[in-house]
Amino acid sequence: MTSLSFELTIGILKIFSFVVPVLVSVALLVYLERKVLGAVQLRKGPNVVGPFGILQSFADVLKLLTKENLLPSSSNKFLFIFAPMLTLILSLIAWAVIPISSTYVIANINIGILYLFAVSSFGVYGVIIAGWASNSKYPFLGALRSAAQMISYEVSIGFVIITVLICVGSLNLIDIVESQKNMWFAIPLLPMFVIFIISALAETNRLPFDLPEDEATLVAGFFTEYSSISFGLFFLAEYANMILMSSLTVILFLGGWYPPIDIFPLNAIPGIFWFVIKVFLILFVFLWVRATFPRYRYDQLMRLGWKIFLPFTLIWVVITSAFLFYFGLLPN
Amino acid sequence: MFLVGSFFLFAAFLITTCIFVIFSKNPVNSVLFLVLAFLNSTFLFILIGAEFVGIILAIVYIGAVAILFLFVVMMLDIQITTLMFNIKRYIPLALLFAGIILAEIIYLTVFKTSKENLDTFIRSKNNTEQIGDVLYTEYFIDFQLSGIVLLLAMIGAIVLTHVYRPTIKRQNIESQNSTTAEDRVKLVKIKSGEGIKDD
Repeated sequence: MTSLSFELTIGILKIFSFVVPVLVSVALLVYLERKVLGAVQLRKGPNVVGPFGILQSFADVLKLLTKENLLPSSSNKFLFIFAPMLTLILSLIAWAVIPISSTYVIANINIGILYLFAVSSFGVYGVIIAGWASNSKYPFLGALRSAAQMISYEVSIGFVIITVLICVGSLNLIDIVESQKNMWFAIPLLPMFVIFIISALAETNRLPFDLPEDEATLVAGFFTEYSSISFGLFFLAEYANMILMSSLTVILFLGGWYPPIDIFPLNAIPGIFWFVIKVFLILFVFLWVRATFPRYRYDQLMRLGWKIFLPFTLIWVVITSAFLFYFGLLPN
Repeated sequence: MFLVGSFFLFAAFLITTCIFVIFSKNPVNSVLFLVLAFLNSTFLFILIGAEFVGIILAIVYIGAVAILFLFVVMMLDIQITTLMFNIKRYIPLALLFAGIILAEIIYLTVFKTSKENLDTFIRSKNNTEQIGDVLYTEYFIDFQLSGIVLLLAMIGAIVLTHVYRPTIKRQNIESQNSTTAEDRVKLVKIKSGEGIKDD
């Protein structure tokens, strides 16, 4: 019995060691986003609260917590409250299988990548339920847009993942990273890498694909009716999802915890450092894209997903498997 | 003990959610209970060690099929009272299907399965690899046939719903991109006092 409770304690500590850094980095990511946007637009960005304004996000969270949580009278109360919780829970449970280094992971399961894919596809439910339970027109339109958008881009994400899996021969995330020891998949699979990043932008509802929360046409999209902490949960979930998709990009294409070149001063640095640096770079790309590109129109978004990405990734799966088969490079 | 306990827990949840799917008054709640039912059956698959089948069930049914159900049901304007009237009409059909499925289950469990074989088969390898080994070799024809059935269903749905409307305005992106300034703007020299000639 003591060993069981000991293992339980270790497990809970491990979970906290993932969740707390993720939530803190969400706060810092919001700060980073405002600073990057400020720099791109020749402004200063937040610079009042704390040194260089670094405590700005924490101040915002406190402000959200002290506000009143409004429930629209015509809404479906249970689902209205449940939706933001579901969204945040889904964006946090995905971290159970993310390997930060070759040994540090909560659950090293055989089908890690499928688990991640499943959890990220459940993310639509939070948005749809929020939009429907609000019983209001703008959230409803936002929810419909979001459902169509996320399903469309999941298809191409699925094909990109299949291409990587053909090269690895395993669904285990640690195996995926370890097969990139000599060459990151971003180099031989460069087109898939680019498509994955663009689809990740669409999957996390980020600009230029943030049509579910398009403020110019839909007020605030699916969370128009949300206030206070229930809005805060959506906000946290969106940024936690951004960090998750960046980590997934790093695991699939940028060699996880491996240094760029396997030589002495670089490989002496702990793997977790490389992992964090790469995630940070991908996140910077997310913010950079936001500052640079205008928003897509909805039909353009659908055309890109179904008529360009889907055929392209499908053909690339065939080409990759044919190449590996012909040259006898298939794993196992 | 832990496994048996979790089996009964998830099985009980599964049956309860299925009952709620049928008896919920609001169709959106029905679909959400259906999602819970799928989730519980995923857990049951994972409990017997078939994690690949379980997670694929979750991806396909929860991640795509149930979302489309929800999508459709959300947009319907449903009078709840009229829905409850019709439920008795379907009882004979429902009993027929239940009978067929029960007969299939009895046939499979009593006559087809030999327990020892199954156990050694399951434990020998990682079950993703097992499915991969037999899917395109032993069951190649069945697999392709089920693919064709799905394709036919999809084409049928598109044919039934797609109406070509010639009056609708469509965007031709290639022609838009290939236009140059010369196609759209013309520089005209006008002598003073004459104005533009309409030609």
